Amino acid sequence: MKRKLNAELWDKMHYLFRDFNDRMVHVELNYDFVLDVDALKTVIICAFEKVPVLHSKFVDKKVSTHWEVMPYDIDEVLTVSEPENLQEAVDDFLTQYIPPESHIQMKFALFIKDSKSTLCMIENHMCMDGGDLKYFLKSFCENYTNYVENGISPIEYRTGSRAYTDVYTGFSKMESGVAQRLFKNINARDDHKFPLTSDSIRDASFIARKKFSDDVLAKLKTKGKELGATINEMLLTAYFYSVYELADFPASDQVMISSAIDLRRHMGSVDDKGFTNHTAWMQCAIPQRGRDIFETVQYVVRSSNRFKKDKFMGLYGLPLLNFGYSILPHVASEEIIKIGYSNPYMAMSNIGVLNGKQMSLSGHEPIDAFMSGAVKYKPFVLLTATTYKNVITLSMCVRGNDKDKEIVNKFFDLMEKNINTLIDE
Amino acid sequence: MINGGAVLKNFIEYIEDSCKNIKDSHIAYKYKRKILDEMTERANEVTGVGLRDEKVLADLLADEYPDLEKNFYVYEKEEKKKARASLLRKIFAIGGVLFFIAIFVAYFSISKSTGAWDKTWLIIVGGIFSMVIFYTSFLIKRLYHWHRFLHPLARVLIATCIMLVAVFTFLFVLMMYNPGFSWIFVILGVLLSFVADLVFAFATKQKFRTVSLFVYIPAIFTMLYIILAGMGFVSWLTGWLLIFVGVAIDLIIFMVIVAHNAKYFMYKQEDEE
Repeated sequence: MKRKLNAELWDKMHYLFRDFNDRMVHVELNYDFVLDVDALKTVIICAFEKVPVLHSKFVDKKVSTHWEVMPYDIDEVLTVSEPENLQEAVDDFLTQYIPPESHIQMKFALFIKDSKSTLCMIENHMCMDGGDLKYFLKSFCENYTNYVENGISPIEYRTGSRAYTDVYTGFSKMESGVAQRLFKNINARDDHKFPLTSDSIRDASFIARKKFSDDVLAKLKTKGKELGATINEMLLTAYFYSVYELADFPASDQVMISSAIDLRRHMGSVDDKGFTNHTAWMQCAIPQRGRDIFETVQYVVRSSNRFKKDKFMGLYGLPLLNFGYSILPHVASEEIIKIGYSNPYMAMSNIGVLNGKQMSLSGHEPIDAFMSGAVKYKPFVLLTATTYKNVITLSMCVRGNDKDKEIVNKFFDLMEKNINTLIDE
Repeated sequence: MINGGAVLKNFIEYIEDSCKNIKDSHIAYKYKRKILDEMTERANEVTGVGLRDEKVLADLLADEYPDLEKNFYVYEKEEKKKARASLLRKIFAIGGVLFFIAIFVAYFSISKSTGAWDKTWLIIVGGIFSMVIFYTSFLIKRLYHWHRFLHPLARVLIATCIMLVAVFTFLFVLMMYNPGFSWIFVILGVLLSFVADLVFAFATKQKFRTVSLFVYIPAIFTMLYIILAGMGFVSWLTGWLLIFVGVAIDLIIFMVIVAHNAKYFMYKQEDEE
């Protein structure tokens, strides 16, 4: 008998985002030892069995949608190889796309070179967001270690509800009532775009990365404290300032960049919840560029404070989306939602600190770790920031050409220049 | 590598150990067999994927089948319910045939003994209507539990049953007493159908149940106006004002809902801080 899983609100929303990005989340972990392939296979199988959405296909029947649990083979999920050119193999693996109709929604690759391992993973964002993926990785690594070192079966994963309504569980009855009536659509449009080239069928996905030296994070923290800004706001400031320069926006223009926020901040314990998405956008707008980058920081802090003061930050529009999806056939709901929804042209997701201890396998912490969001389709862009061992890595996944690569790299150079201005002056 | 025999033995031991407090019975055997079959099938599935560690397989499946003893009592209750339902089905099938025969026997014997052939046909109509209502009530229950998608059909069937009762009452009163207002029972049937549909909508939390409420209340008062005017309790000329009572009740309910929701919409974040 076919086993079906509910398609939750965020699953449907990320499915709708198919016009804007490829929905793949990317992870790369580098270890200084060779992983036990058989153990890795066992751990992956257990993860897939405990989180069945990972081996399910998304079924869009136009009237309704659901996940259908599918059979799979571990050799389709995990690829093991010893490549000549490691970086090329990693990039090739990470830039692939898993369609939602595929029978698996997560893939692993283990590349072994010079007695070192690179473990890569891609995952359909419809299954879980960056917040839960970090949690999944933590459980995955713990399970691997416990299995290899102590023979404990690797079956410890969170399971439970994937419903969007779980975001209300941390509220009082009154607050929950208010939050569930936030029908206001706060989507604001901004036509300023990241200056990429126009679309072409020759475009291919690429991941551009920029690593900062390890003293930058500490300096950003210190300077941020001085200016009353968080690391996220400091990075956002550099993003704004750099994009004004890169795209040649008039300094007097109001520009908006959306920043991903984790809605789990509203929830109580998530221990009994399944892996899912709980991420929304905070739209950060500055009225003008500012005479210098320090004035821009003040604009960013002011804009972001407006959101932070709101107890229901990120929850606006969820009841409206749910209403849209529940009263009409799926195909009609999508059309209606598309009218009201405006995908941000420029966005940032600060995944935050990747904890080396939590991602250690058999006592070996990763020598390097990287995580990034989906490959965006032009003209949309998403800047992802991760921090590992005090090193900030910025990345941008784009489906573009060599010229786009140059533009993104130029943007990273501007980011570096502006961050240095921020921390050194 | 997985040793099929050893795995099966592991599962049997796990099931026996988890169910050691359950008294031996046919249901207990069926339950254990069912769990064993399911676990074996799942084990085949997971080993087919590529899992080769016997202990992990056992732990994974044990994790998927926790609380076997607790679940047994749920299963036992369900099985007993199924057995009762099966017995009832047989009784109803045989009873239906017997009841059908009994209707005709009653019709012919009463007609012949009283000679009231012009009225006794009500026995056949009443008998058939009651059989239809009886079996439809089971169908409604099944549709209700089956799928939410079938609830509209269940609602139509509820209204049909009520209308059958109303039509029979109308025919009975007409044939036995002919008071001149027997048609009122048909209108009463419509009114009761609306009420029943509202009760169903609210009890099963149907979508748009509040909208149904706003539509049904004036409709119910319209039927009430026809009934009361038909029986001479209110005048046909002025009684239609009752419809406005329905509209007024709608307005009151609307205001109560607005007032209830207003506290959420007017909520200021400082209120609770």
